[in-house]
Amino acid sequence: MSSTRRPTSRSVRRTAVAATSAALAGVLLAACGSGGGSGSGTTGSGPVHIKVWAWYPQFKQVVAEFNKTHKDVQVDWVQAGVGQDEYTKLKTALKAGQGAPDVVMLEFQELPTIQLTKGLLDMGKYGANADKGNYVDWAWKQASDGEHVYAIPVDGGPMAMMYRADLFKKYNLKVPTTWAEYKEEAAKLHKADPNAYMTDFGSDETAAGWRQGLTWQAGSRPYTYSASKLPDIGVKLNDDNAKKVYEYWGDLVKNKLVDTQSYATTDFYNGLSTGKYATYIAAGWGPGYLSSVAKKTAGKWRVAPLPQWTAGGNDQGDWGGSSFSVTSQTQHPKEATEVARELFGTSDAAWKIGIDQAYLFPLATPTLNSEYFKDKKYDFFGGQQINKVFVPAANGIGAFDWSPFQDFAYNTDTSEVGKALQGQTAWSAVNDNVQDQITSYAAKQGFKVSK
Amino acid sequence: MSLLRQQGPATAAPPSTVRTKGLRAPMTGSGAGRRNGRQSAHTRHQAMGLLLITPFGLLFAAFLVAPLAYAFWLSLRTSTLVGGDHFSWFANYKQTFTDPHFTSGVRRVVVFGLVQIPVMLGLALLGALIIDEVSSKLAKVFRMTLFMPYAVPAVIGALMWGFLYSPTFGPVNSLSHALGTGKVDLLGHSLMLTSLGNIVTWQWTGYNMIVLYAALQGLPREVYEAAKLDGAGQIQTAVRIKIPMISSAMVLTLMFTIIGTLQFFTEPRVLEPTASSVITPDYTPNLYAYNLAFQYSEFNYSAAISFSLGAVVFIGSYLFLFAARKRSGLK
Repeated sequence: MSSTRRPTSRSVRRTAVAATSAALAGVLLAACGSGGGSGSGTTGSGPVHIKVWAWYPQFKQVVAEFNKTHKDVQVDWVQAGVGQDEYTKLKTALKAGQGAPDVVMLEFQELPTIQLTKGLLDMGKYGANADKGNYVDWAWKQASDGEHVYAIPVDGGPMAMMYRADLFKKYNLKVPTTWAEYKEEAAKLHKADPNAYMTDFGSDETAAGWRQGLTWQAGSRPYTYSASKLPDIGVKLNDDNAKKVYEYWGDLVKNKLVDTQSYATTDFYNGLSTGKYATYIAAGWGPGYLSSVAKKTAGKWRVAPLPQWTAGGNDQGDWGGSSFSVTSQTQHPKEATEVARELFGTSDAAWKIGIDQAYLFPLATPTLNSEYFKDKKYDFFGGQQINKVFVPAANGIGAFDWSPFQDFAYNTDTSEVGKALQGQTAWSAVNDNVQDQITSYAAKQGFKVSK
Repeated sequence: MSLLRQQGPATAAPPSTVRTKGLRAPMTGSGAGRRNGRQSAHTRHQAMGLLLITPFGLLFAAFLVAPLAYAFWLSLRTSTLVGGDHFSWFANYKQTFTDPHFTSGVRRVVVFGLVQIPVMLGLALLGALIIDEVSSKLAKVFRMTLFMPYAVPAVIGALMWGFLYSPTFGPVNSLSHALGTGKVDLLGHSLMLTSLGNIVTWQWTGYNMIVLYAALQGLPREVYEAAKLDGAGQIQTAVRIKIPMISSAMVLTLMFTIIGTLQFFTEPRVLEPTASSVITPDYTPNLYAYNLAFQYSEFNYSAAISFSLGAVVFIGSYLFLFAARKRSGLK
């Protein structure tokens, strides 16, 4: 027994050593080989491999669909983190001069920031301008600068109000159409059940885009910026519209009519699924998000348009939404542009996955305006045709510029909101403080700031 | 040197001259040839030594010296989003020490340390004295239990505490709810530093206790016997004998703790997503440096902040060692 076992164990050991050294050699070779760019391409025949970073739900199937329908280009997908986690990695790789993917998923607000550090390829040089008519106008404007195309829009985040129909019925609440009504109903709900809140006020960094979307709806346009007009930038974060929004929510917080839990925490998900929150002010990607974090509340939610500041108004805002960009480190600009344009693009097959399984809100006009999308019934929302709310909301979104230092802006806003929550500063002072800090930061960074 | 300082030059001079004479005597007495042979053996030894430390030296240069030099070079340049970058000598450092984000962060970790370090080291010392005195099975269990948190990776520990602090799921909140004391927001502004201090204390008390316990175990037992004969009780023995005798170990743990506190990063970084309106990007100096580099792409300024923090740590620990030089055994 032992004599037969001994050689086996020795050969196992030998194989292990060989495997380890082979792996080490592989690592070393890879380290040497990836000097410039992602190193994912092949020189000879065979398809070009394009590395993509994205965090869309159900993205695996979209990639499989792309690889099935393309012969010369193949996509290698990596989930490199959601939002800020991915951007941190991307910025580090861009600074390091290597390690960035060919194609990267970016939210719209992040585009000018990455573009300013020369991290994005101008896809306009590779024919991307041909897609201009395929996308919603405001989205294309955010993704491009004249003839320069820095991103291909994918999904959007027109805002709307999701609410628990069962709780509204139980407490005899009326679906609010204005923010004044929203506050009245919030008071009614909290009086009926002190443990329930109308919603959760997003006070953290992941909700900075939420707060921005709400001021967007109120008519605030904080930045005037175009990469082609550097170093000029307009910064106006403290106009009356923005102040109106912060004072309104500050009032709700002070009266304890809304909760102040950070978004993207288990406590927040718990609030959504236990009925602690009666409404969730969310965006076009919200249905997918909600149905994954609050699965057990399926069928109880409905969608209504965002409450308005003036009765009968039609002012809309956007929160999030994303696009595909090609990084400046790519060694295959042509193929990478093709991937960015066609992963979703106007492909019916890809969008069927995007709509049915990932609940994305398409920004490609043929898909957006298709009967299939408009009339689709969602079981999670009790069979409601929710896109009859979201599509008009998306159509009401106007032009909007982001700053090229959006992370700093969001962090500053979050810090100041935190101070107001704590009672250190008045809610009415938040916008002025943010404005001061951001204008001085921008000036220090070499911008010519007009207020 | 230490002899000189303690006894004064007059008494110190004779022994030192004796020692040098003693060393030199055989050298002068021996022949020239023998001396050469010894020297070549010496150089051969030296060459061998150099060869043996080469692997370490290379890694040390590649992973410590080179990155530090690169970071220092970065910190001497200024880059802005629009203006491009240029060499600016010490402008970044000048900015660092007038930057309210940096100074408030330093102030915060100092305040944190003033409360947390005495509490933690006090507990560690108490624990060490107890397990040194009691030698039962229970003491072993106690020692293991206190040490266990140190074996938990800091990130996991902080995540776990994040859940315990949760206003919805956390036991603390359920308890205060049951007692009718209302909502206790452990992740709110007023209690955040306390909550962080609790995590750090939980994680590091056991480690420090083991260091102090090891020092206590190294003490000669006769001293205790003598103390006992002199009529000292257990508490007196602990306070008058044990604590003074392990003071150098205490200085060591205190030193490491001070350095760790000034570089406070992991726990606030992990709790940041749960409470980002409380843990701002400039909450601690290290967190600020991290966010500057990887969120705002201000690598140059971030490098300057890191070096400034390094300077603060260096000066802080030097001052501490200087103040504690009599106790530390590092005279």
